[in-house]
Amino acid sequence: MGNLKEIKARITSISSTMQITSAMKMVSAAKLRRAQDAITQMRPYSQKLQEILTNVSGTLDLSENAYADARAVNRVLIIAISSNRGLCGGFNNNITKRVNHLIKNEYPMTDVHVLSVGKKVNDAFKNTKYNVRPDQIGGAEEMFNDLSFERAAEVAQFAMDSFVNKTYDEVLVIYNQFKNAAVQEVMTEQLLPIAATEVEGEVQTSNGDYIFEPSKEEIITDLIPKTLKLQFYKSVLDSNASEHGARMTAMHKATDNASSLQKDLKLEYNKARQAAITNEILEIVGGAEALKGG
Amino acid sequence: MRLEIITPDKKLFEGEVDAVSFPGIDGSFQVLKGHAPIISTLKEGRIKVSLSNDEKEIDMLSGEIENDPSNDRIIRLSIKGGVVEMQNDKIIVLAD
Repeated sequence: MGNLKEIKARITSISSTMQITSAMKMVSAAKLRRAQDAITQMRPYSQKLQEILTNVSGTLDLSENAYADARAVNRVLIIAISSNRGLCGGFNNNITKRVNHLIKNEYPMTDVHVLSVGKKVNDAFKNTKYNVRPDQIGGAEEMFNDLSFERAAEVAQFAMDSFVNKTYDEVLVIYNQFKNAAVQEVMTEQLLPIAATEVEGEVQTSNGDYIFEPSKEEIITDLIPKTLKLQFYKSVLDSNASEHGARMTAMHKATDNASSLQKDLKLEYNKARQAAITNEILEIVGGAEALKGG
Repeated sequence: MRLEIITPDKKLFEGEVDAVSFPGIDGSFQVLKGHAPIISTLKEGRIKVSLSNDEKEIDMLSGEIENDPSNDRIIRLSIKGGVVEMQNDKIIVLAD
């Protein structure tokens, strides 16, 4: 049983840590709400864009498009989305693990480059041969300082350009998909080449009625980069919401652990205190007995 | 007819309008009530909106909207590009 002063000091330090973790939890909860709002804001745009695209491309073959060119894969770009800050459980680690797993198992013979969005994954890859320096691509480095569509679009544009000029034959995005505040799932999505368009259920195409200005083909070439940018933006927003969710959960657990630790220490403190009192009484009684006897 | 202008980040404008001019990729054009369904890409420029008279107040959802000094029923919005779809007197602009 440690001495009283020691235990007291530990209790104080744990309570102050608890204050920090619970404050961080609150902050994350507030940021999570904002991040979720951003996702909700984007949804009507993405729905409408999808709708217009299906309206236009109902009869059109996409395989002609430069972004749909599926060729032999020699060079791969992996865009790994993490966060700038830690203290969010396995959030960043899971991304790093998935990237390493992909490099080892899926692309052992391929030339792989990793573009990290967010400091944490960049820290993991900046000294490896896979690294693409994010500070050379506008928007990638400061993505989370001020999250906006424009920044995400810059990164997506870089990926699109390097796909078209054949620097990379495939572009993958790895991020934490937001399930709910406590659950994130690491997702690997193929950004380029565009996978064959899935027909999602029965989309009513009122195709014939529309006037297309200037022409169907040109609208398609204009829309496809937009959908790609949007898809990437969606991943970034999802990752952002997941980050705050993960941090909230991690901080909640930390606060719980701290309070149970605090409880145990208080018990120990009280026991030690009582033992000290008992000892003192024994000494006094012993002294009194000795005096009486003399 | 109803006009909605949205970007991935936010909604720029929503309201009842009489006429809208767009900076189309092949030149500017205007749509009025009853226009045939159209999908068009837009280039950088300004969308000019004539507000409908029964639209009492509009939400200035973004600072990018400017009022016309001579006519308070006309507003202008700068966009960098986008797509417009009109169908059944409902116009939706996806701006960049």
